Amino acid sequence: MYSQLFVEMESFQFTKTGQAACGDDIQIKVLKDENRYLAVLSDGLGSGVKAHVLANMTTTMALRYLQSNMDTLQSVETIMDSLPVCEVRKISYSTFSMIDLRLGGITRIVEMGNPPYIQLRGDREVPPLKHETIVSNHWPDRQVECYELKMEPGDRLIVCSDGVTQSGLGEGPQYRFGWRRSGEMAYAQEKIAANPEISSYALARSIAYQAYRISRNTCKDDISCMVIYMRKPRVMRLLTGPPFHKDHDNEFARRADLGEAHTIVCGGTTANILERVTGRKVEIDIAKLQLSDNLPPPGRLPEVAMVTEGILTLTRVYQALENNEPADKLPTAGRKIIEMMMQHDKIEFIVGTKVNEAHQDPSLPQDLELRRGIIRRISAALNQKFRKETEITFF
Amino acid sequence: MKKMQLEICCGTTCYMLGANRLLNIENEMPSDLRGKTDVRALPCMGLCNEKELAGAPYVKLNGHVIENATAEKIYAKMRELLEA
Ligand code: FES
Repeated sequence: MYSQLFVEMESFQFTKTGQAACGDDIQIKVLKDENRYLAVLSDGLGSGVKAHVLANMTTTMALRYLQSNMDTLQSVETIMDSLPVCEVRKISYSTFSMIDLRLGGITRIVEMGNPPYIQLRGDREVPPLKHETIVSNHWPDRQVECYELKMEPGDRLIVCSDGVTQSGLGEGPQYRFGWRRSGEMAYAQEKIAANPEISSYALARSIAYQAYRISRNTCKDDISCMVIYMRKPRVMRLLTGPPFHKDHDNEFARRADLGEAHTIVCGGTTANILERVTGRKVEIDIAKLQLSDNLPPPGRLPEVAMVTEGILTLTRVYQALENNEPADKLPTAGRKIIEMMMQHDKIEFIVGTKVNEAHQDPSLPQDLELRRGIIRRISAALNQKFRKETEITFF
Repeated sequence: MKKMQLEICCGTTCYMLGANRLLNIENEMPSDLRGKTDVRALPCMGLCNEKELAGAPYVKLNGHVIENATAEKIYAKMRELLEA
């Protein structure tokens, strides 16, 4: 069951008003082979660039120690020993939360000075399986909170910096102690009750914005919120290119999951195969066509999300992914493909490898790459730059 | 009178070789031809691999294939069909 799950880790930050850099830092690492999802959120002492450097040193070290399974107390002490000490306050540091989520196993959270995490199952809070406070010999006034918990499918973890829980501090009797963890949790519960599928990004953003609003639209401190949501992956398919052997056409077409509306079909011959199977025709709307588009217009075919031209469109999509171009700057077909990719966790490519002879014609004004190569590169970009899971099946 | 059916191929080869410039043809037609066609765009019609044909872009007017299609060739064919 757990191997089918997707862990969505997203965050949202506001920088303290007037500062050039955010004094909080968040780092994430996925160890796919070990089914582990690591994240660290750190809040550097003070604000601005110096705080950012402290926070970034902390997240970098903490992530490395998590990865190497170093003993908790030893990791925490090494981090605190390594950070410079504040001359005035005689405290070194940054505060931080370290998360080591194991799919199907025990999730460990270690907190040093950060607001306690929140675990929600639906809109209900879930207490940890185990909680222990340890004190370091080197730093007797600092407490380290260690938790063990079990993440079930559909659970969320919310971790934030004190810019969230202390927002609103001093803004009237309601916020004598700030928004606090309880206020933050009640807000998250309300959001989840209203939208049980709310994405990690949307929830993190919403919490951060609320903290900002409570402080009368200023940030007295850096505000960071991270949400980790364990759920069934949203899968999309992209079918492109006719199969090498014609007699595989039907099997290829079956992979379109007709009727599920999560499939994009890229390529004319591919569209023809699906027209044959569905008995319907592709309709292309040229009324709204932008002549400046430089990509053939997309079309509609019932039972799939969209039909587009193949290789030019895919090449454009690859360029945009590679160069981090915003999707809304792209011609319609490319924009829609990228938007759909970003809304899904896993992208399955079903690729026919038959070469279209006409594309090899030297008189074409532009070289056309082979489908196989371009799909491999799109897949790698999605994987490495956007943490998407991908799978390619050749036909 | 029944409108003529003009189908413009928007497949890779045709698009690269000039079909993109034909997509707006309805608004560019000379006044005697305007309003006499239904224009549709289609995915690759499979003609780009026909060795006997003269070359992309391909369009079909009431089912007649026009090779190396240009706006002028399309207008000429339209007039021919109108007169017939
Ligand atoms: S691209 Fe037009 S016929 Fe193939």
